[in-house]
Amino acid sequence: MSYEIPMGPYHPGLEEPYKLEMICEGETVKDAKLHIGFNFRGIEHLAETRNYIQVIALMERVCGICSFIHTLTLCQAMEKLTGFDVPPRAQYIRVIMAELERLHSHVLWAGIAAKLMGFKTMFMTCFEIREQVMDVLQAISGNRVNYSMNRVGGVNRDIEDPQAILGMVNALEKEMTRTIIPIFTTSKTATSRCAGVGVLTTEKARSLGVVGPVARASGVGQDLRKAAPYAAYGEMEFDVPVVPDGDVRARLLVRALEIMESCKILRQALTKMPAGELVYGDGKFNFLNLTSPTATARVEAPRGEVMYSVSWKESARMPSRVHVRTPTYVNMPSVRFMVQGARLADTPLIQASVDPCYSCTDR
Amino acid sequence: MTTVDTVPIEMEDAEIAELYSERGGVLWYGDSNMNVRDVARAMNAVGARFITITTYELPANAGFRLEYHWDLMGRLLGFTFPLSGNTIDSIYDLCEAVDWIEREVHEEYRIDFTGRTYEPLLLREGGACGVNLQKEVVQ
Repeated sequence: MSYEIPMGPYHPGLEEPYKLEMICEGETVKDAKLHIGFNFRGIEHLAETRNYIQVIALMERVCGICSFIHTLTLCQAMEKLTGFDVPPRAQYIRVIMAELERLHSHVLWAGIAAKLMGFKTMFMTCFEIREQVMDVLQAISGNRVNYSMNRVGGVNRDIEDPQAILGMVNALEKEMTRTIIPIFTTSKTATSRCAGVGVLTTEKARSLGVVGPVARASGVGQDLRKAAPYAAYGEMEFDVPVVPDGDVRARLLVRALEIMESCKILRQALTKMPAGELVYGDGKFNFLNLTSPTATARVEAPRGEVMYSVSWKESARMPSRVHVRTPTYVNMPSVRFMVQGARLADTPLIQASVDPCYSCTDR
Repeated sequence: MTTVDTVPIEMEDAEIAELYSERGGVLWYGDSNMNVRDVARAMNAVGARFITITTYELPANAGFRLEYHWDLMGRLLGFTFPLSGNTIDSIYDLCEAVDWIEREVHEEYRIDFTGRTYEPLLLREGGACGVNLQKEVVQ
């Protein structure tokens, strides 16, 4: 006999406000339905009431973890609208901030995954390393979360001493190579809780259009940093880790390997960063002589592709439309298929393996 | 030439390249008489990945404009569909990735995607559609 278990929107097993209605037979989940919208903020509507400076501050608050990525995508879209060029040094600073944010996000996720596996020592270790990443972000921007780094046409702050940041990145990489990577890739605790659990096949991943580490852990290898390079990514050498297994362990492996690739990118960017301006001219402009009334930009966030479409009328003070497509929005429907046939006790870990962000989804 | 034949896999082909124009970071398809389901079939045929639908509410109750975005090997393709009313064919049966965004657009703008049923996504059961983002709400 089947029965229904509602999980959420407020539940000790969930870190985020959404609802999963699971149909179970015994301990096995047969099907599930997802409900979102519990924290809907109407940010797209609010964006239509902000000027080109205010809208950046607003969109920085779409996500508490990927705040830099959201302003980067928005600014890139507005740069396409206005035809603004970004100086090379600013492009490098954007790469450095984006990769630090990826490290921050992946280590935070690793800590939460460790906690859900019942591996609390690892949770503490991950959060200690995350603090070190946040120290680097604070050293650059003065802020731990919302960095206020991006502006249309460049960045607001310089990295005055890249060598000092490089030293911090090397120390971080050493710590992660010593602890997080070997434990997550070889420990029996991690393997026994994750291997063969919550499988998303390559075919289903393609059909659902999932993005980021979730797609790459199911054998779908797209990464916008390679496929459609932006900022200074075209000048960086790095690999895109792809694992075909599609289970929770594959998603763990992909993120662990991406941490190493981020460190590789950071070292290159900090070493090769050219001298020069942070923004051409005084960075002020009005929306006259737009190159296009609508522009779209995409960026590879820690969770996958973020897309912004921005529409601006000639000489208007405020945008007429800002549409945000976040990675969790396309990744989360896959949870329904991941939990089918899974044990009920594994469902919190399966959901966490997507690295869901409902701040983004309920934008 | 059908829509399937004109998907720009090889933009070096001048005949195909002529059908698309690059604006604001998107390769826009120029045919305004196309059908959304034909486009979905064409995108499926070449293995493109559906990204999203962006809804624009036109001033003075003139309807809506829907922009469908697809990714083809890193290239961003755009297809525009003007709606004089508030109805368009659903492509959910052709592309399951469209499920959440069709439900969201239905709830936020009261646009009806014909040929599918909805379950509440952002709203709760019985919630009024079109309240959150639609500017001219007629209840």
